[in-house]
Amino acid sequence: MRYDAAIIGAGAEGLAAAALLAGAGARTIVVERSERAGGRATTREFHPGFRASPFADELPPIPADIYWALDLARRGAIFRPAPVSPAARRFLRDVERRAADIRARAVAGIDSAPDHSFFSRPAVPAPWPGEDWMALSLADVLAREPPDIAAHLAAAALSGSVADPYLAGSALHLLTLPRSGFVTGGLASLANALVGAAHEAGADISLGHDVTDIRHAKGRVSGIGLADGSEIEARAVISTLDLKRTFLSFFQWNALPKEIVHAVGTFRMAGAAARVLFALDTMLPDAARDRIHVSSDLEQLAAANTVWRTGMIAPRLPVTLRIVSAADAGLAPLGQSVVTATLGAVPFRLFDGAWTREKREVLRMQALAALETAMPGAGAHVIAAEVIAPPDIEEALGATDGDLMGGALAADQMLSAGPWPDVPFPRCPLKGLYLAGSWLAMSGTCVAGAAAARTVAADIASGTLK
Amino acid sequence: MSAIVVGGGVNGLVAATYLARAGRKVVLLEAKDALGGACATTTFATGFKGPTIAHALTALDPRVVAELKLARRGLKFAVRDMPTVALRADGKHLVIGRDVRATARGIAAHSRADAEAWPRFRRELFDLARAMRPFWWDEPKRGWNLPPTIATLRRQNLAAWLDSRFESDAVKAAVACDASGLSPLVPGSPLLLVWRGCQEMCGLQSAAAIPLGGPGALVDALTAAAKVASVELRTGAHVADILVKDGAATGVVLESGEEIVAKRVLASLSHSQLLATKAGRSALGIGESTALERSVPAVASAKVLLALNAAPNFGGSPSRGRFLLADKIETFVTAHAASRAGCMPEELALEVVVPTAADPALAPMGQHVVSIRIAPLPRHLAGGWDAAKAPLAAKAIAALERCAPGLARHVTAAQVLTPDDIAKRYGEEDEVTVERVMSDWPSRILTPIKGLFLCGAASEPVGAVSGRAGRIAAAHALREAAK
Ligand SMILES: Cc1cc2nc3c(=O)[nH]c(=O)nc-3n(C[C@H](O)[C@H](O)[C@H](O)COP(=O)(O)OP(=O)(O)OC[C@H]3O[C@@H](n4cnc5c(N)ncnc54)[C@H](O)[C@@H]3O)c2cc1C
Repeated sequence: MRYDAAIIGAGAEGLAAAALLAGAGARTIVVERSERAGGRATTREFHPGFRASPFADELPPIPADIYWALDLARRGAIFRPAPVSPAARRFLRDVERRAADIRARAVAGIDSAPDHSFFSRPAVPAPWPGEDWMALSLADVLAREPPDIAAHLAAAALSGSVADPYLAGSALHLLTLPRSGFVTGGLASLANALVGAAHEAGADISLGHDVTDIRHAKGRVSGIGLADGSEIEARAVISTLDLKRTFLSFFQWNALPKEIVHAVGTFRMAGAAARVLFALDTMLPDAARDRIHVSSDLEQLAAANTVWRTGMIAPRLPVTLRIVSAADAGLAPLGQSVVTATLGAVPFRLFDGAWTREKREVLRMQALAALETAMPGAGAHVIAAEVIAPPDIEEALGATDGDLMGGALAADQMLSAGPWPDVPFPRCPLKGLYLAGSWLAMSGTCVAGAAAARTVAADIASGTLK
Repeated sequence: MSAIVVGGGVNGLVAATYLARAGRKVVLLEAKDALGGACATTTFATGFKGPTIAHALTALDPRVVAELKLARRGLKFAVRDMPTVALRADGKHLVIGRDVRATARGIAAHSRADAEAWPRFRRELFDLARAMRPFWWDEPKRGWNLPPTIATLRRQNLAAWLDSRFESDAVKAAVACDASGLSPLVPGSPLLLVWRGCQEMCGLQSAAAIPLGGPGALVDALTAAAKVASVELRTGAHVADILVKDGAATGVVLESGEEIVAKRVLASLSHSQLLATKAGRSALGIGESTALERSVPAVASAKVLLALNAAPNFGGSPSRGRFLLADKIETFVTAHAASRAGCMPEELALEVVVPTAADPALAPMGQHVVSIRIAPLPRHLAGGWDAAKAPLAAKAIAALERCAPGLARHVTAAQVLTPDDIAKRYGEEDEVTVERVMSDWPSRILTPIKGLFLCGAASEPVGAVSGRAGRIAAAHALREAAK
């Protein structure tokens, strides 16, 4: 059977794309390597009785229209807004407006919008909301906030990531600030809801199948090949993996046009996140529900960035702590708690070799020290800790260099200024291949998937996809 | 008096001369006893002369040279086009010259792919440079638009831009040296390189030249031109403030209390210097004082002159070169980050010339002068620059010693100007930003005060010995007078 669309990866983007496409009447299949759908939207038991979402506590917001179109509330994906300190609220409203604008344009097909360029000339990538931030540093944008709020917001923007907050362009990281809030039951509830939506719409979901290549001839995609040698024919292929992974692992380099190879080769990743999951045998003060950014003022973030670039682990990494069980009591046994630590500025490639046990231990110790700083005495109650280093993220999610954002956040890599200005996302120079990797992860969940679904549907309708 | 020019640097001299040639009565007021500003030759040790600040002319406007007939007034060049030599600790020095093929052959020692990419890169860079010439050389004609490729470049950072073209650290670092005013991670930083490629020193794209007798010789020629045009030159005349009435400049007042009246004032001051004057502050409102603080650059440069009792030996490289010391692009990234944090960078990036190689008269027989520019460095160093003066020189010499073994032994005298010294002597510079590089001339030259024009290096896209700002500011002043 020939599908209209084959989707690689059953994360939030892939599932949303599948649900939307199948809902629009396209024959759709999602192929996932792992035995479980969800991608980064998973929750697992890391110690008997203690559960956490290993890669992130919260995801960027799901646009309201997608949320309701997929009927996610009925399917059990209930969000509870994360608390925001009142002092930062005004600033965050502005950020949320920009991010929402980007989301809206992305879903509507950002680049089909008329080309009003920076210098009012055609053939220049269209500006997008936040364009002015590409030339500003975090420090510039936060200059008018009181110092403690500025430090808090900078740390939040760079949580699990890395940049020099004094360097022009770092303000773009603010776009990652808006969060949906927690999903009750952990992020896996969201994955379950999306699976339900995809199923109900009539999409096939094939788990435990490793896609090995994207079949193509004469610049046009014809389907995907699986590890067991079988092939799935499809008019369109949507890859939800990042740009590098998509082209690096599903194609033979010499079979691709040189320009594609060059663009993909020079695309920059910036994996910098590590996580430590703590199980504690005590209840922690409920007051600390917001994220706690430990010891990260702007100077320290800048210093950590410098060290990260050399491939070393900074002596004091920026750490964000969250008592996830305070927001969702079901994650820990009664009277006990789960704390996650998100570490930023952790290099994927260490200058002195592999991520050994000792190196992971360094991460655990730093997270523990941060926990002790934020909640004196809590360290003694830690009964288990799991360290997730950047290579683990790559391994588990296929995210190149462990980069959860799908690439370094930089003006020349984002949105309409992507690697192929004349063939803007989610399209790419290969006909029939659509990219719904997390290049838009910063602005919203399911946004890239929805944008790809919409584009494929439009291309089917217009007859571009034979 | 119909016009006053404040500051007798290259730009001030050029502005005054153009105004006088147009028939205006012009007085030029220079605070110091000598003209030339940052473009000067100094005797820093008995018998040794060297370039005080600027040591290699790369941006001098050929129209200024021709129109003011500087050649006839004595300007000669000791070298017109120094090859760039990237010194490498492993001895595989890289010579980048005008001959594309020879350069590519040299690059091949570091990387074959880069050797192949070199001609393509030169072409790309010079195409971009040519496209930007109307914008950076003058006020572009109506209807001229920024080329789309440039708009794209505004989003790219130099590190990524070079990474996508070259693979070897040697080539990338050597190229990046010419754009070291910005961190290579700043979006738009490749534009500095394009700006550099846009300059046509001695009619040669992207060349670096040294006047015979040092940079001071250029000033002598300019002074002669000013005199022929009957500019009244006054040294030792420090302008204390600009007189403003009803939003228009009416003259200046000197530190001595003397007032000089004129309808037009052209000042070779940076924006931060202008904001430090009473006139500037009142014109822009007190509220701007915070902006003033932020506009002071975090990054600056230092200058070291060495007297040597023997010729420096850069491992067989032509000693007439412009030598660059920077291991890799990361050197600039970390140096910028450190500078901003007020710390001494671990690794210094140096630009070195040996003026005596082409002009032996600058030193006693057989002896030499080495001129070093160190950038980027912190404008404000934690602990202060005074205490760091000697360590800075030692660090620079040690870095040089690695590529020119034995050099340190031959140093007989040194002069060190830290960023503090330079700011104290020549005033606080304006920050180099992408916005500044991409803004048009009027936005840099005109001020909120009518009749007051900025004609100094701060009005250029990137500060350099060019005379372009002076020339264009004079044209503005004349145009306004004609209205
Ligand atoms: C370390 C360093 C190295 C450099 N190297 C190079 C190089 O190799 N090549 C190159 O092309 N460029 C170089 N530059 C840049 C170049 O030196 C300057 O951009 C250029 O000399 C500026 O010329 P100007 O006439 O605009 O200003 P200046 O030369 O600074 O002249 C301003 C004049 O105004 C006078 N003045 C200031 N205030 C008053 C006042 N209130 N009243 C009266 N007079 C006043 C000052 O005394 C001074 O003489 C370098 C800069 C630095 C800092």
